[in-house]
Amino acid sequence: MFIIEELKGVSLIKIDRHRCIYCGACVGVCPKLALILKETFVEYDEKKCINCGMCAKACPMKAIDFKK
Amino acid sequence: MKADYDVIVVGAGPGGSFAAKKAAKAGASVLLIDRRKELGAPVRCGEGLGSHWLDELGLKVSPKAISAEISGSVLYSPNMKREVKIQNPETRGYVIDRKVFDKDLAIDAGRAGAEVIAKTEVYEVMKKDGKVCGVKANCAGDKFEANCKVLIAADGGESTIARMAGIDSTATLYDTDFGIEYEMVNVDCQDLIEIYFSKSAAPRGYVWVFPKGKDVANVGVGIGGLEKGNAVEYLDRFIKNNKRFEGAQTVAIKGGLIPVGEPLKELVADGLMIVGTAAHQVDPIHGGGMALAMEAGGIAGEVAAKCAAEEKTDKKSLYEYESIWRKKVGPKLMRRLRLRKVLEKLDDNDFNAIFENLTDKDLDELIKGDYKPVVQKVLFKRPQLLKVLSALL
Repeated sequence: MFIIEELKGVSLIKIDRHRCIYCGACVGVCPKLALILKETFVEYDEKKCINCGMCAKACPMKAIDFKK
Repeated sequence: MKADYDVIVVGAGPGGSFAAKKAAKAGASVLLIDRRKELGAPVRCGEGLGSHWLDELGLKVSPKAISAEISGSVLYSPNMKREVKIQNPETRGYVIDRKVFDKDLAIDAGRAGAEVIAKTEVYEVMKKDGKVCGVKANCAGDKFEANCKVLIAADGGESTIARMAGIDSTATLYDTDFGIEYEMVNVDCQDLIEIYFSKSAAPRGYVWVFPKGKDVANVGVGIGGLEKGNAVEYLDRFIKNNKRFEGAQTVAIKGGLIPVGEPLKELVADGLMIVGTAAHQVDPIHGGGMALAMEAGGIAGEVAAKCAAEEKTDKKSLYEYESIWRKKVGPKLMRRLRLRKVLEKLDDNDFNAIFENLTDKDLDELIKGDYKPVVQKVLFKRPQLLKVLSALL
């Protein structure tokens, strides 16, 4: 439990901006609207992220790293 | 820019621009905004469009927006031993250039009287007494607020606007495919759309080659959201394992999510309409959304203008859009969804067996939604599929 408390508000996702083609797939599956597509990059709100990993699974370019 | 509009449309894709044009033509004051600095780019699409849609939508496509003319499709079995070609007046179509096509549609909207503003991002949907009443947006660094009687969310796969307004339009992995596509040169093409079925090459999806010219094609793959790995890995493998692509060069990378489940349960709320991919109005079999979005956008734009003029923009009044759309498109989409859910249960051996006896006439019947003759034919050869296929009878 201690570890989970520590992780609250800490997102485990890493978006590789060099790989991202800003298609917005990750935004569409994010259940918490933690990801927002700006014109040419994805911005994410670590406080909203619940570390569900959906975005990493969805990303057609494999540009999101998620380690739990 | 004004402070008040009858209709604000967010997203200048085919659905949004079509809605804006129709609403403006019906006499509404319309604002069409889009996050991108250049409407049409980046492309997220296979770019195929059946020519029958031009008549159905009253759409004119400029020659510049047409990359290639298509006479039909060819489908390949997983073992590549069989191909089935279908070419008839109804399978004719175009592979278009979405960059030109989308911009043309936005230009049409502007000509019809809509205000069009690029590089404008909505960061908040405003509500009053629970009813959507406008947006807060950022236009190239300048923040502004605009009120509207009807907000049309046509913001594509992200579907952020509907969710900001409190409607859960989040895409679920099971009911979504994820696609990646390379536009490649030095690829020999015919005037046919090529579809490759194979569990290993594209689980719960397919690989496509859409010709954009004699030697240019969109080569892409879509996979089901619950499948292993990411779409790009499948596409890279398909290209590497296929001699045809030796020497092919990639001139564009496109991708995105493709909702292939049911459309949203509710397409309207007080002061809000949802249109196109944002509303999951996508064909569950081939994943195409452009034409469906324009069809829905056209209906939504007209209804929005009428409701705004009558000052009745509550959910019940706006439901007219949903009701017309569901009557027109709903049953067909649901039939195709049923087909998708059956197809995803089949493995490569099943597909190989089905392809052995499949004719272009069978395909034609499947496309038209008449599953029975084909299913009976398949069951005769492969009775073990009875349980799975009975859903189609």
